[in-house]
Amino acid sequence: MLSFIKVVLLILVSHLRQWPLRTVLTIGGVALGVSASVAVRTANVDVLSSFEQAVVTVAGPTTLEVSGGESGLDEQLMTRLRAVPGVTAVSPVILQTAVEMRGGQPGQAIQVLGLDLLAEFNTRGFRLSQPATERQMLDMIHPHSVFVGDKLAIDWNLSVGDEVHLLIGTGSCRCRVAGILHSESDRHSSWERLAVMDIAAAQVTFGMIGLVDRIDLVTAPNLSVDEVADKVRTVLPPHVTVERPMNRTSQVEQMISAFRLNLTVLSWVGLLVGMFLIYNTMAFAVAQRRREIGIFRAVGMTQERVAVLFLIEAGLYGIVGGLVGSVAGMVLAQQLIALLSRTISDLYVPVSAGGAGSLWTGPWFRMGAEGVLIGSVVSMIGAIGPSVDAGRTTTVRALAPGDYEASQQLRVGRLALMGCALLGVAGLLSWPGPIQGIPVLGYMATLCLLAGLACLAPLCVTGGGGHRRSIGSTAGLPGVMRTIAVEHASRNPGRNGVTVSAFMVGLAIMIGVLVMVRSFRHTVEVWVADTVLADVVVAPSLWLRGTEIGTVGRSLPQSWTSLLSSIPEVAAVDTYRDVRMTVNGHRVAVVSRDLRLHAQWSQYLVRRGDSSEQLNRAAEIGGLLVSEVLANRLGVQEGSILEIMTPNGVRPFPIVAVFYDYSTDGGKLLMDRALYQSLWRDELVTVFPVYLRERASLDRVRDRITEQLSIVTNGGLPPLVISNTELRKEILEIFDRTFLLTYVLEAIAVVIAMLGIVNTLITSVLERRREFATLRAIGGSSAQIQQLVLWEAIYLGAIGIVLGLIGGGLLSLLLIKVINRQSFGWTIQMILPIGSLVQAVALAVLATLVAGYFPARWAARQPVVEGLRDE
Amino acid sequence: MVTIRQLSKTYSRGEAMVTALHEVDLEVQQGEFCAFVGPSGCGKSTLLNLVAGLDDPTSGDIVIDGRSTNTLNSQDWTTMRRETIGIVFQAFHLVHGLTAEENIALPLLLRGEPGRDIAARVDDLLHRVGMSHRRRHRPGELSGGEQQRVAIARALAHRPRLLLADEPTGNVDSHQGAEIMALIRELARSGGQTVLLVTHSTQAALAADYTWAMRDGRLVSRTTHSAQSVYPS
Repeated sequence: MLSFIKVVLLILVSHLRQWPLRTVLTIGGVALGVSASVAVRTANVDVLSSFEQAVVTVAGPTTLEVSGGESGLDEQLMTRLRAVPGVTAVSPVILQTAVEMRGGQPGQAIQVLGLDLLAEFNTRGFRLSQPATERQMLDMIHPHSVFVGDKLAIDWNLSVGDEVHLLIGTGSCRCRVAGILHSESDRHSSWERLAVMDIAAAQVTFGMIGLVDRIDLVTAPNLSVDEVADKVRTVLPPHVTVERPMNRTSQVEQMISAFRLNLTVLSWVGLLVGMFLIYNTMAFAVAQRRREIGIFRAVGMTQERVAVLFLIEAGLYGIVGGLVGSVAGMVLAQQLIALLSRTISDLYVPVSAGGAGSLWTGPWFRMGAEGVLIGSVVSMIGAIGPSVDAGRTTTVRALAPGDYEASQQLRVGRLALMGCALLGVAGLLSWPGPIQGIPVLGYMATLCLLAGLACLAPLCVTGGGGHRRSIGSTAGLPGVMRTIAVEHASRNPGRNGVTVSAFMVGLAIMIGVLVMVRSFRHTVEVWVADTVLADVVVAPSLWLRGTEIGTVGRSLPQSWTSLLSSIPEVAAVDTYRDVRMTVNGHRVAVVSRDLRLHAQWSQYLVRRGDSSEQLNRAAEIGGLLVSEVLANRLGVQEGSILEIMTPNGVRPFPIVAVFYDYSTDGGKLLMDRALYQSLWRDELVTVFPVYLRERASLDRVRDRITEQLSIVTNGGLPPLVISNTELRKEILEIFDRTFLLTYVLEAIAVVIAMLGIVNTLITSVLERRREFATLRAIGGSSAQIQQLVLWEAIYLGAIGIVLGLIGGGLLSLLLIKVINRQSFGWTIQMILPIGSLVQAVALAVLATLVAGYFPARWAARQPVVEGLRDE
Repeated sequence: MVTIRQLSKTYSRGEAMVTALHEVDLEVQQGEFCAFVGPSGCGKSTLLNLVAGLDDPTSGDIVIDGRSTNTLNSQDWTTMRRETIGIVFQAFHLVHGLTAEENIALPLLLRGEPGRDIAARVDDLLHRVGMSHRRRHRPGELSGGEQQRVAIARALAHRPRLLLADEPTGNVDSHQGAEIMALIRELARSGGQTVLLVTHSTQAALAADYTWAMRDGRLVSRTTHSAQSVYPS
């Protein structure tokens, strides 16, 4: 075995020396594919682990968390909880967001944790460093005292005794740094970037007198946590939840699972295209070395060992590509993490970027090993076909010329039939529904679609099986060059088919996703235009940041309604409240507003009937409007009854209408504000949609609102007063940001496909050195040789583009009608974005020309005499 | 037609320098048929490659049709081959994807000649090399002798004044070789072409007006012979 490895290495080194450029291209392709996969995986893991770490660190010894949702909990409940058998400690918690004010401008947002410091300073996993004075205890619980994490103190350049200006909700607070917070462990911890206040101080600062966000419980170690949880529930109001801290992480994980899965699948496209590249490289290697194979077989190498030889070579490409790709993936991940956390914060739940610490200090070995594993497995899968071919080649045939392509020619028809069958299977797989909420069959249909088209590619390369143009019929020089190029390209359906397939896959996915995203954007634009009708929206100052945790930063007082209504040019003010609740195990947005007012001024895009009628009816009978996504998820429809846990217990609500909504993928419930307030006793407002009178001046009203509200915010940052146009723009910006990541991953796949074309053309040029030299010898110029290679690139590119357009069109149907619908539940109106498609095709043409240019130039510069020399 | 002055060509093989041609002087008149014979490595193919502009000399000069080639760049050489030189190779070097008539048309197409003229010229050449019945066949479907006939027709398609033939009978049997040489002689004579022939075969060399024997990169002796008895003109 050792001697075999020596032989393998010897052969490999000689080939690397012989074809260094091809080796670099192949490794580069694998590296790019691996980098996309590693980057997305790393970013996904980092974002979730930062959330998980924050939960676990702050939880300390807590075994159960009692939560009342966004309206908080009455602190009196603690007395009841202390009396529950098995509960050994009860701790109040406030978790809110504050924003540092620096130079009059809002800066970084931080989480502020309110804890009973006297009781807990040595139980949660942090320690406080504080000057030892007589007032030490008083300083700790002072209403304006705050302890900041050591990393935060360094970032903000804070020391004990410094004053820090924090924005809290609509108000502000000048706090004094009473001490620095350190993690008890040496490891990286969430405490480093948190601010902590005593619970009483936090209640004052955040305006939550008598309320807490959460109550943390420690249960007796000898008792089952679940049993104690059951007992705890008996003393609490019905809507209050009792769960283990880790449940929050799994809830978030579940919430964003479809989003993550789609992203992960998209990141695999690069690997898939890279697989084609490896196939191509190895197929060329087998064709190029067929005499070598014959010699190996003649000197006693077995068929299996010949195949293994090529597999090992591909594996080595994969290992090197994997290593390079891992490093590139880490660099890319640094950029993706910020983008991903922002998207998840926009769409789901606030998460912080890079909470798990710098990636460069992270698990390098594991990521490198993963990259190498992915790279080598993908490469070896890509190399299976050519390796088996190599192994099966008999000695005599291996020593005969033209063997490889001859065998490839025979398979074109069979492959085409298989391609048609795969397209049929793709069609069948797109009919059934999701499996456990995941569009497994939809993904399989996508794979079958791309594989089917890939199988048809060799037939397309041959021009449908033998159509040839005669030079006599072509007028002028471009005609002859084109004919020779097409003729040559069509004589190699095996290798060229793979190149075309790789290009087609990259392009099809680009076009498919493009059509899907454009259709989705169009749908959202229509939805926004039809439903976002308020002239002005008054919102908390940091509403658009999407990083707010806790109610205070995301709420406004109801008392502002009258203040806003008092402005003469204001015709109507709605009160919009958006809180998250768990309904039948699904975390949904519960929106309450004045439905009658909304019916008068705006509308929802309801599935059946008229919006105004349905809104008025819902207000009248205490019914609900449910978003399409939620209706699908809960399996309810117009006329169904939905039971929701309220502070007064489970209550049935009739569903009046189902409406289209694209603001959240978790689903949305809409009820009248009066009904909501009567049940949840929540007086807060999330935003105020304001409708103006006819001919009112928007700028004047905005100025008036800002002026009026700056009086009541008392030194805090004034709330946002956003015009309708700005709000629509913001919604579409969030949409575009969400799909930015998609474009990055697509670009990587297209670049790999381009490398495939370069690879194929170099192969073609190498094989045809004699032909080019002959043409030079009989009077062909170097420019004409260049044209010849470019024509070949154009021919292959054109087939790839046509197949890519067909594949992209079918893929967009699958994405819109099957995968997106099954993953997220949204109805997307499909459109054909002609402008974007033209751009995509132009990009593909440009990619083809760029990929063809360098091999063409190289071919034109080759010495003629060497080219004419016999093998 | 061709004047060669002090032509040398040296190759480097790793550390060693190999002299393929050593200060060769030669004069070939318009319409002459000159053959070069000698053992492998004597420099005859190198000489032909240099005359065709496929390789650069180390020193010396080649004058073709009164024009010194020392100052020619790649594009000028392309024009020279397109206008003045036709080449026949031992390995035929036909473009595999093209038919016999398309291969013959190739130099004319590369010159950008009108389609009608090309068709007429190709028909004529196919007839003269006896390949009219195989005009739509591809190189893979032709025998070695047939391929070489097509290659000769291609070399003469653009009516070059100088025909260079590098071992044209090297890949065919002796019978076909004799036919090939007769064809080259006949066509060159009728077209008034100057022919430089490189060959191992003394039989093939008899087709020429005279033969230069080469050894170690030098022209060593010239033999004039009457070819008429073997290859009647």
